Amino acid sequence: MSNSVYQYPLRLDTSLLKKVLMDALSSGGDFADLFIEYRTSLSISMEEDLIKETDENLSMGLGIRVIKKERTGYAYTNDLDEEKLIEAARLAAAIAGTGKPPQKNIRFKPVKAKSQAVRVKNLATASSLAEKIDLVRRAYQSALNYERAIKKVQVTYRESTQHVWILNSEGLSIKDCRPMVKLAVRSLAEKSGRREAGYYGGGGRVGLEFFNQSLAPEAIGEESAREACLLLEAVEPPAGQWPVILSPGHSGVLVHEAVGHLLEADFIRKKTSIFWDKLGQQVASGQITIYDDPTIPGFRGSYNIDDEGTPAEKTLLVEKGSIRDFLYDKLSARLMEKKANGHGRREDFTNWPLPRMSNTYIARGEYSPGEIIKSVKKGFYVNHLSGGQVEDSGQFTFSISLGFLIENGRLTRPVKQATLIGNNLDILQKVEMVGSDLEFGLQTATCGKESQEVPVNDGCPTMKITRMTIGGQP
Amino acid sequence: MKRQNKKNNNFRLLAEELIDFGGHKGADEIEVTIYDGREFEVQARQGQVENLIQADSKYCSVRIFKDKRTASFSTSDLSRPALHSLIEKAVKRASQTQADEFSGLPEDPKYKVEELSLKLFDPALTELKPKEKIKLAAETEKIGLADRRITNSFGARLVTNELKTFLVNSNGFSGNYLQTYSSLSLGLQAGQGNQLVEDYWFSAARHFKDLASPKEIARKAINRTVRQLHPRQLKTQKVPVIFEPMMTSWLLSFLFHCLSGQAVYQKTSFLAGRLGEKIGNKNLTIIDNGLLPGKLGSRPFDAEGVPPQKTTVIEAGYLKHFLCNTYAGRKLGLSSTGNADGNGIGPNNFYLKRGTYSPDEIISSTRKGLLLTRTIGQGLNPVTGDISRGAFGLWIQDGRIAFPVSEITIAGNLGEILNSIEMIGSDLNFYSPVCGPTIKVAEMTVAGS
Repeated sequence: MSNSVYQYPLRLDTSLLKKVLMDALSSGGDFADLFIEYRTSLSISMEEDLIKETDENLSMGLGIRVIKKERTGYAYTNDLDEEKLIEAARLAAAIAGTGKPPQKNIRFKPVKAKSQAVRVKNLATASSLAEKIDLVRRAYQSALNYERAIKKVQVTYRESTQHVWILNSEGLSIKDCRPMVKLAVRSLAEKSGRREAGYYGGGGRVGLEFFNQSLAPEAIGEESAREACLLLEAVEPPAGQWPVILSPGHSGVLVHEAVGHLLEADFIRKKTSIFWDKLGQQVASGQITIYDDPTIPGFRGSYNIDDEGTPAEKTLLVEKGSIRDFLYDKLSARLMEKKANGHGRREDFTNWPLPRMSNTYIARGEYSPGEIIKSVKKGFYVNHLSGGQVEDSGQFTFSISLGFLIENGRLTRPVKQATLIGNNLDILQKVEMVGSDLEFGLQTATCGKESQEVPVNDGCPTMKITRMTIGGQP
Repeated sequence: MKRQNKKNNNFRLLAEELIDFGGHKGADEIEVTIYDGREFEVQARQGQVENLIQADSKYCSVRIFKDKRTASFSTSDLSRPALHSLIEKAVKRASQTQADEFSGLPEDPKYKVEELSLKLFDPALTELKPKEKIKLAAETEKIGLADRRITNSFGARLVTNELKTFLVNSNGFSGNYLQTYSSLSLGLQAGQGNQLVEDYWFSAARHFKDLASPKEIARKAINRTVRQLHPRQLKTQKVPVIFEPMMTSWLLSFLFHCLSGQAVYQKTSFLAGRLGEKIGNKNLTIIDNGLLPGKLGSRPFDAEGVPPQKTTVIEAGYLKHFLCNTYAGRKLGLSSTGNADGNGIGPNNFYLKRGTYSPDEIISSTRKGLLLTRTIGQGLNPVTGDISRGAFGLWIQDGRIAFPVSEITIAGNLGEILNSIEMIGSDLNFYSPVCGPTIKVAEMTVAGS
């Protein structure tokens, strides 16, 4: 690792930033912070046998936040002139009303991020465009050559390098660099007038070597084509209530939606989450233990420090069915008199941080996947969950892009697009078996909350749910 | 005012300078767009201002073409060194992509739309004081919380935006326009313990006078929230489904995606290859129109400088047009319909033409069915038209709303739905760029216990 790779690319005078923070507190704010971001991204797209377009993005700017009790004032600017920064600081300061400016001067104590979860040898940004185009072509060809039924393939490659510098009125000054790459393929299969699409992808906070060492572009192409071809043979989903088995990895969306969001501390302190008064209580089957862990090396949801500069921390959320902790940002921690646990995240400098998940997963259980499947006479196997959504009331859904029927303990016919719906307290009690085969999702997921998108990952072992409602044809 | 004019000229001059610079560096064609925006947002929750955001932001995006090869970039750093370096890199990157005969800037526009005729800008909105905006949000939330059935609030939010768009290209197009936008919304929760329900309501407008009053928004949010209390579960069945206007919007957004030229040439739409065919029943007419004065989806030119038009996309059930930007138009042997947006193809005002029935008439015509009020999740497949979503609604029995239902899913196919829209309401409101009135679909699968 060359040090220059991680050098912060924006030159800003610390004494100016100190002045900006002091101005931010000039109306009596309790706390202020600056989030300075410099992010470059590149994308490449291929369709119809052509490398069609490359797009580069440069996003830089500074966000200023002022907190007064429960209130947040926020201003941002991408003009980093002194005059603009001071103006933004005063706009953000206004939230505090007409209080007094701070007595004490701020003294920055620069620190380095301890976690090494996000460190790559070579940033993808530094590699040549030709090398990236080669990855795209390899993924494209393998999808197209998978079977004659594959008619169209689209490949996208995306990389970004986000440099952050976070300073606050408590004297924190910390910088970090967060790389990300993603290679994804959508394949379209057509047979006897029927068309279906399959999707697969991979990446993470890694360098390009990932695609040579861990997941080849060819594998990504083939998997997407395989899914499209399987869907050509798929039958309509069986509507109604059935025993459901969730495949390992992808199905982690379940824990993300059904549990994770409702343990985010903003929903807890605002009492909109059904879990707000359930710390220490049993809310799920005793087989369920859930962690949120931003320190897993190279994962999409990982970071060394969160977007408030708090060190990333593996958090035990649910232990054997009981709620053990919530996901805190600084504001919620302050209001709830807890310690921030490194889960304050934001999409970019135009947004303030919110309590968010990182990599969320259900810990492995005791059953072998084989015996779980064998235990179901007639039911539904969720192979690929493509997304989900939850409300604070606990009502959630998942979208399934590919499933299988289970008949007499065996997976039989593929099933196309279906939706699962349930209420989390109900479903969490009905988790009957948890497998020993923990896996993680594709490293392509993004989670949205209050219009802010952040990269995440989810994981889980094979799981059996006694009964769940499936949408489809009766 | 003087300062404003100077700034306008500055951005136009910057764009023209970048066009020249790109030409010198070897671009055959180049297009520069600069956005200059101002944003204000306030959220009131539990009686106090919880969040306040104020910001100015500028953004520049550029497309260049060289030997029919394309490269683009966007940046929030508008300094000369950053812009020049990005242009040079884009020209180099273009040489590594492949020639595509359909790429390039649009032809000269056939007509010019007068910016002022579209009424996109409201000075009253830009003059509104922060204090007044805060008051509006606080008042909306207060009315919401005053209802005894409401137990919690997600807050009331007032947003105002002002955006100036400059677009200049090397074919000689140069245009700019100013627009305003405002919205006021309120989210509420009702119920207790594990039996919570939530919903929201909002109003969005370009002109301050068109924004609904706090009272109107709060009442609607209250009603939408409490009507879901004490839901029942349903048995899986096939029944008529009535879509409230918000749900029609959702369905039309999915339809828009399937009608976009990009999905069509990629064959990722079930409507690919069906131009001219009858794809819906005869009461179905769907229009995209970017020229409606004051409406949220109107603009004098699209993201490529092409003037929008009124496009009758589906006429009495027949598929007449796909919606295209220049590239998709050329690919399909069609013309751009003025639907280019930053990410490809987007709607102007895309709407279902109103029918004659009142929503009450539609409900009372239904012996047994579901009034769909909200959906959650994903579950839309443009390749097949399949729809499968988590849903909330009100059960209709003997022409009357009987009780709320939850933990259900709805499933159907957009192609079949277009052919089975039995009734279309008269309640078309342009509260978002994609919109439609209440509709009744003959049959969908509602899955429950």
